[in-house]
Amino acid sequence: MSVLIEAFKAIREKHLEAKKIVEEATAHAEKLRNEAEQKASRVYEEAYKTTLSRAEQTAIDLRRKAAKDGKHDLEKFLSNAKNEAKAIEAKARRNFRKAVDSVLDLILQ
Amino acid sequence: MESTRVITEMILEEAKKTAKIIIQEAQKSVEETLENQRQRGVERANEAAKILLNKAESEAELYKLNSMANAKIEAKWVVLSKKETWTENVLNKAKDELKVLTKSKKYLPILEKLIKQAGVALGGKELEVLLNAYDSALPLKLNKLAKEIGEKTGSKTKLKLSKEKPEVMGGVIVRKAEGKVIMDNTFDDILRRREKELRSEIARILF
Repeated sequence: MSVLIEAFKAIREKHLEAKKIVEEATAHAEKLRNEAEQKASRVYEEAYKTTLSRAEQTAIDLRRKAAKDGKHDLEKFLSNAKNEAKAIEAKARRNFRKAVDSVLDLILQ
Repeated sequence: MESTRVITEMILEEAKKTAKIIIQEAQKSVEETLENQRQRGVERANEAAKILLNKAESEAELYKLNSMANAKIEAKWVVLSKKETWTENVLNKAKDELKVLTKSKKYLPILEKLIKQAGVALGGKELEVLLNAYDSALPLKLNKLAKEIGEKTGSKTKLKLSKEKPEVMGGVIVRKAEGKVIMDNTFDDILRRREKELRSEIARILF
């Protein structure tokens, strides 16, 4: 009889020990979840900021590129225009006398 | 006793397994929560980023169009200003040569021609001739010119030199005696009147 009682007692003790192990694990799991809840808003903010910051940088790059392209266009057009102006000047020098004579003819005709 | 030991070990082993599963599930849930939040943050940021990038693209496109238009205007101005400079050079040179001409022997017949043209245009009769101070002293044959105008218009014409001396480069203003109708044949007015035509002719020849 006493052997049976001892056996029940041992089983009861181990059962309590097992219950404690599961309770501790449950408490630890709850703690992990709570910490995750607290961390979640930070993770959200960081992901938001990182993604938006990348987009902002892209926007800055787009504007920089537009400004650079604009400057390049201006230089290209001005360079062409200066060449054209040089050609005009050379032609005008050659035909200057003829133009003056033509103006005088028109006025005095 | 042996069977009791086996049972108690089984109880403990089962509890440890359960505990392990509880922790693993909690960790999985934590990872899912954090990943969901990260995804939410990225999605919300992507929405804002889309608006931001659309705006930046529109602005960049507009900036590019504006700068292209300004570049074209500036380039055109370089060319046009060169043309304008040379057109002005021609007009100024022509004016200078007209001034020289008014002091030369060639001028008198030109002036007489201008007086005659103006007189005919006014239909002859009683006409007043206005010349600058220098030209007023030239030996003009006004009677002969009056006769020629009369022949052209069919009206008896009389030309009278006015006491008024307009400040002009050269040429003549002819006025009807009653003073209501005038014909301005001064070089100054011809240049002003025909400026568009002259500029067009200069451009045709120069460029």
